[in-house]
Amino acid sequence: MATRKGLGIGSMYYGIGYGFSRADIGSAEIEMAEDGTTTVYSGACDMGQGVMTVVTQVAAEELGIEPDQIRVVAADTGSTPDAGPTSGSRATFVQGVAVQNAAQELRGQILDMASRMLECPKENLHVRRGEVCETGTDRPLVSVGKVAHQLHFHGRRAAAWGWHDNTTQDVDPETSQGDAYATYGWATQLAEVEVDTETGRIRLTKLVSATDAGKAINPVAVEGQIEGGATMGLGYALYEQHILENGVPRTASLAFYLVPTSMDVPDIECEIVEVPDPRGPFGAKGVAEPATIPTTPAILNAIYDAIGIRITETPITPERVFFAIQEARARGEFEED
Amino acid sequence: MRQRYALRVNGETRETEAEPHESLLDVLRENLRLTGSKKGCNEAECGSCTVLLNGRPVVSCLVLVPDAVGRDIVTIEALAGDGTPHPVQRQMVEQGGVQCGYCTPGMIMSAYALLQENPHPTDEEIRFAISGNICRCTGYGKIVKAVRAAAEEVGRAAS
Repeated sequence: MATRKGLGIGSMYYGIGYGFSRADIGSAEIEMAEDGTTTVYSGACDMGQGVMTVVTQVAAEELGIEPDQIRVVAADTGSTPDAGPTSGSRATFVQGVAVQNAAQELRGQILDMASRMLECPKENLHVRRGEVCETGTDRPLVSVGKVAHQLHFHGRRAAAWGWHDNTTQDVDPETSQGDAYATYGWATQLAEVEVDTETGRIRLTKLVSATDAGKAINPVAVEGQIEGGATMGLGYALYEQHILENGVPRTASLAFYLVPTSMDVPDIECEIVEVPDPRGPFGAKGVAEPATIPTTPAILNAIYDAIGIRITETPITPERVFFAIQEARARGEFEED
Repeated sequence: MRQRYALRVNGETRETEAEPHESLLDVLRENLRLTGSKKGCNEAECGSCTVLLNGRPVVSCLVLVPDAVGRDIVTIEALAGDGTPHPVQRQMVEQGGVQCGYCTPGMIMSAYALLQENPHPTDEEIRFAISGNICRCTGYGKIVKAVRAAAEEVGRAAS
């Protein structure tokens, strides 16, 4: 068996959110009960991307309470305000800010009441770990739960609504020039492949991914998004092909449409790059699609590095590589071992 | 024609009525309300319906009810039957092995079956054991890590 190794790099940038003047809004409601436990009503639907965790952490951080004091009601058209779809790598970037805005207003209500209770100017107070504290010393003065109880007792608001509009300008209709998105994510990946020059089989042996997360609100979840995104990229590069014949899908089951299994995915090394984005919640932005995009070019470049042939069609099946090698041989352009 | 079947599920004998051509998965989910086993593809490709049959992992969508009679069936519900999650379950959470969660019960059953047979698997053996369980979210790395951590935890508890 003749195998050759190759290394390749793929880089990309990607618009976060909807861009091009398409409506891109987030909204959330937040309410604190008499004992300080807090419910966030968030329209963002979590299908595994981790937005519920992000919403919980953002609300906790902004309010100054522990995440286990927060319950999230998500994606219920009967009770949550519209936050648009979880797509376009926008949920953290857009909905995160809406939740932060709601939490900030609620924190203001708590501090107003605490200021009355403690007869202390609001400016000298902040909330930390579930306690209203004296600014400067961090000395806890009264628990958030006690303040919430007073708000309810006096019939005052312990609830807020947060909104965030991330809709951008459109580009120039004549020239298509302009800044289409509110921000951009960046990613670079390095792929190491083994090419079997007799059979054309490609094996991805290692993948390193450096992804700009702005700020990783939950690093484990960010890694999960990057590893999962790169795995989809690898499927797109090597296995996944939807075949339509006269309008009839020929790859209508997982037996024919191949997605990567645990045996196909190599060790993925994740490098989270943190350059805080002032428009995202605590500097965060989307990571999932950016992790998917550079994988295929990185693999294609690694194959070129290994065998000196540019493959220009995906998926890069063994047949395609085998025949590309045969054709290069016939032209006298394949460097034999 | 509907017939009566007595199935041994998670250590209990459960009586139910079903057509003989119904799958074990449908009977577990619809008749016995054990909805932890998921119906993903219903054609033995995705692994989300994995249960143990006499200790071996099988895709329950491809087992006919009559074939399950007289065998020990273990479903995901048995793993935390006493309210305490199994180490594989806890580590799936700890290591971030769960994203959308749809593959998770089947994934855990495959991993659980592996650890019953091979308490000290290599990463390659873990990857092989879960290779019939498709996950579209995680890229598998954190699942492998979770199974490895669970094996270490079980090993420590045993020694």
